Amino acid sequence: MKDNHMIEIRGLNKFFGKLKVLKNIDLDVRESEVVVIIGSSGSGKSTLLRCTNFLEKSQKGTITIDGNVVTHKSKDLHIIRRDIGMVFQHFNLFPHMTVLGNVLEGLTQVKKLSKNEALEIAEAMLEKVGMSDKADVYPSFISGGQKQRVAIARALAMNPKIMLFDEPTSALDPELVGEVLVVMKDLAREGMTMMVVTHEMGFAREVADRVIYMDEGIIVEQGTPEEVFDNPKNERTKAFLSHII
Amino acid sequence: MVTQTPFLLALSFDGLEKWARIAAGFAKPAGYTLLITTLGILLGLGLGLFFALMRISKVKPVQWVSKIYIGVIRGTPLLLQLLLIYFGLVQIVRLERIPSAIIALGIHNGAYIAEIIRGAIQGIDRGQREAGISIGMTKWQIMKRIILPQALKRAVPPLGNQFIIALKDSSLASAVSIPELLLHARQLGSSSFRTMEMLLIAAAYYLVMTSVLTFFSTRLEKRLSVSDHRT
Repeated sequence: MKDNHMIEIRGLNKFFGKLKVLKNIDLDVRESEVVVIIGSSGSGKSTLLRCTNFLEKSQKGTITIDGNVVTHKSKDLHIIRRDIGMVFQHFNLFPHMTVLGNVLEGLTQVKKLSKNEALEIAEAMLEKVGMSDKADVYPSFISGGQKQRVAIARALAMNPKIMLFDEPTSALDPELVGEVLVVMKDLAREGMTMMVVTHEMGFAREVADRVIYMDEGIIVEQGTPEEVFDNPKNERTKAFLSHII
Repeated sequence: MVTQTPFLLALSFDGLEKWARIAAGFAKPAGYTLLITTLGILLGLGLGLFFALMRISKVKPVQWVSKIYIGVIRGTPLLLQLLLIYFGLVQIVRLERIPSAIIALGIHNGAYIAEIIRGAIQGIDRGQREAGISIGMTKWQIMKRIILPQALKRAVPPLGNQFIIALKDSSLASAVSIPELLLHARQLGSSSFRTMEMLLIAAAYYLVMTSVLTFFSTRLEKRLSVSDHRT
């Protein structure tokens, strides 16, 4: 973990109609830091992640990505997004493209790499997530865990500075969770800056540099896994943890 | 009193050869039917795609233009549209019968195709767009590479249906004296006093053509399903 801030979120507010989902969120994520966000559903943790990638427009606040202040009005949002990889709960692979095609898409269409350069990177990414042998298969023929690994490869192919994971294992059968977590652990070890929304407390404890507990749109408590899991200070955190552990 | 020989008897009386010759004479009118249908559908596809994209635009006036087009076309009969374009456009530009019928069929089917494609586009999971966004694709790249290929695949069955309707609707072009199948059958029927027989021959031609269309749309559907898991 380094000292410079990869992500700086200041005074972030998000409403859905009258419902206030995020209330004045301030959050810094340092380079190579792994931040795990926990909280019950409706706490705003997924929304926070989606705002970081500008999939959701916030109404107030600023987000600084690697030194560049970005607002949803920025003209070149799609360029900034290349630096932020995102992995979704439901994988969102492109069903009409093969596994390899999914990973190639961003390389050929967004980065405009030549076929050979793109292939080299895509194959390396599939190798990294252990999916090389399924390169020519369509997504509907592989398991959820395999789909999620391909989705991670697709995001990594763009060589992002930050990876966001939005409940990456929540839609998986229990026996498939492990293979995805292994890939994520490798990434963390390699120094990727990561924000992970998850219910996998084991993963949080093992991999997170910092755990954030959110409730009703605010960051209630944050600290090292030991601090948050073993000595939670806030009553709400205690209540939440007692429910899930 | 002379009674007309019934159709089946006529076959045996007049000989198959004569009827085969008459039936073969329907090939050219069937060609007209195919011509105006095919070009009408192609025009309709283009218009349909265009207006479907306008319909889902975030720019309100653009949406309205599409809504008005779809509303007006779906709200008035094709026969009226055919006549309006034939008699109306002729006053502005010199337009032959056949092009005017093709334009009318194209504009008419465009409205329905627009709705088919719009529905298919809106049926694509939101996550697909988000995945495209997250790897840095632009709005148009996402539409062209992610949404439309999936939407058009889903639209194949209803589009096939629409094409069959278009083929049959082309018979209305007889109203502007295009010598297509139905007009040919009626003309030949009244001159030979064998209306029933001629209509039945025309029906056979329509059936063959719609069957061919069905065959190809089913085949296309199958070919496009290679990426689907068969359960």
